[in-house]
Amino acid sequence: MTVSARAATARSHEENLIKPLTAFRPKLFVGSLISGGVMALLFYSWGYQIFNDIGVAGINRPVFWGFYITNFVFWIGISHAGTLISAILRVTQAEWRRPITRCAEAITTFALMIGGLFPLIHLGRPWIFWYMVPIPTYRGIWPNFRSPLMWDIMAITTYLTGSLLYLYLPLIPDMAILRDRALKETPKTLRAFFFRIMAIGWRGTPQQWHSLEAGIKAMAVIIIPVAVSVHTIVSWDFAMAIQPMWHSTIFGPYFVVGAIYSGVAVLMVAMYLLRKGLGIGEYLSDKVFNNLGLLFLAFALLWGYFTFAEHLTVWYGNEHIERLVFNERIFGKYSGFFWTMMVTNVLIPLAILPFPKGRKPLGTAIVGLAVLVGMWIERYLIVVGTLSYTRLDYTVGTYAPSWTEMGIFVGSIGMFLFLYFVFVQTTPIVSIWEVREGHHLEVKAQRQALAASREEP
Amino acid sequence: MSKRTHAAFVSPYDVREALERLEQDGFSTGDVEIRSSAPLDHDVFPERHAVHSRMPWMALTGAALGGLGLFSLVAWSSSVYPLPTGGMPIVAIPTTGVITFEGIAIGAILCTVATVLYECGLPGLWSAGTGPLDHHLADDHVLVSVTCDEGASTEWAAKALETARE
Repeated sequence: MTVSARAATARSHEENLIKPLTAFRPKLFVGSLISGGVMALLFYSWGYQIFNDIGVAGINRPVFWGFYITNFVFWIGISHAGTLISAILRVTQAEWRRPITRCAEAITTFALMIGGLFPLIHLGRPWIFWYMVPIPTYRGIWPNFRSPLMWDIMAITTYLTGSLLYLYLPLIPDMAILRDRALKETPKTLRAFFFRIMAIGWRGTPQQWHSLEAGIKAMAVIIIPVAVSVHTIVSWDFAMAIQPMWHSTIFGPYFVVGAIYSGVAVLMVAMYLLRKGLGIGEYLSDKVFNNLGLLFLAFALLWGYFTFAEHLTVWYGNEHIERLVFNERIFGKYSGFFWTMMVTNVLIPLAILPFPKGRKPLGTAIVGLAVLVGMWIERYLIVVGTLSYTRLDYTVGTYAPSWTEMGIFVGSIGMFLFLYFVFVQTTPIVSIWEVREGHHLEVKAQRQALAASREEP
Repeated sequence: MSKRTHAAFVSPYDVREALERLEQDGFSTGDVEIRSSAPLDHDVFPERHAVHSRMPWMALTGAALGGLGLFSLVAWSSSVYPLPTGGMPIVAIPTTGVITFEGIAIGAILCTVATVLYECGLPGLWSAGTGPLDHHLADDHVLVSVTCDEGASTEWAAKALETARE
């Protein structure tokens, strides 16, 4: 294909990206409505809990952490899909990253927002959340910075701030492209105004590009340790307590691996749906799915290894209380959950992903869905499985979620989908300028190859 | 009185040629503004090497300030809070380390973004997007604007740019 023909094809592909932002798309509208309706369930259930007190939730002695903390860990885990993966791919200059960075970064931002809601919901009285903010108060006391829960707040706040800015910075040039189009085609519309505000006056001069690229690079380097710290600190919420099957030195890396694993899973599903729904297969190509599928496979193996190591040491140590929790998990009342988790997180990925045909969009999306279910179960087993069996015999208890907790959980999924639908309709889901840059690099490589072939005798 | 002449180029290589012509005609770098919708390649525009950014130093400064700020907050709040510590250090370094790390990160992030905005001259909401050829940026063209005096200089600039475009 000639250079000009390639450019023309690239322009027509870009039109596919911009369409959802400029034209009414019934599928997206219906999707937003349905997911918005499901999201309403979250706020209804939460409101119900606020007015009727935390007693409407199923959490009770000894299981004080139930669905809410399970979902908190689950969503924070999912947030590792985007910013971390995008940052790693940017730092390593993986060329195939270009079409996926934005859809991944958006997942992080929305998942973090939702994950951050759950501790508030779990508080029961969310209006006293500001007690955790380190400002002088009439109470004359300060937050206890020695508590892992306080570390959580600091880490999640940092990660959310970083992720939002890391999502926005590369978005500025794309918003400028849309602004320039809109100001020519439909200058006096709300859409043009929105793009103008979001582009904050970007002009695209060499100085601006240089600073932006330097900033994105710096952010990518900073955000990787932050992302790792976030889920390590979430794991320390558990590991710092001397509870059976929590007090483990490998909980930090185990959680980080699990988080990235669930993050890649949701990214695979999102990419499949975007490809199908928006018809952007030329960006989210089979090659991208294949590469991410290989990464996915690596994390399946890593997660399986960590799970094996974690359970082997508990079994070999044979400490009474640890074995009690272990036995219930493997053979007892939680065994159904455990073995389902092993099937979805290990068996299904290993049966599909090693084969090139399995790393096609549909195959990876199926594995992604399975892993999402499995990773949610893993969090549930960690939270509820251990708390059901504490060290004192008379505190043995069980836990069943109430409809309020389930409503909030289902609503949180709706909220995630709703935010994503809105995002897809207001911003290009693939970074236009990064794809263009990749295209320019290809042209340059072609020219160099041509020049080299002419120089040869 | 000065005037601006604009031209849109499909290929960055044509822009390179136009810039060379403009240089031959006596225009300085300060007279010419290049704008694009994607970063221009360093080989095509070696001038970009001359552009400097204070980014790494500003990020490091932000990191130092953030870390120091949060460490001070934790140390100060721990010491003013009347906890019976039983001889243990009032400011526990391992736990403080976690908070300090997050302070380092948030300081670096905020300083990086502030530096990007400062160096890019953002926000400047109403200045951009209103040029006569700005819509060509959306089509992946490269815009070149030349500031020159009224009269002959304008013709020279327009001619050079037009020749390159052809």
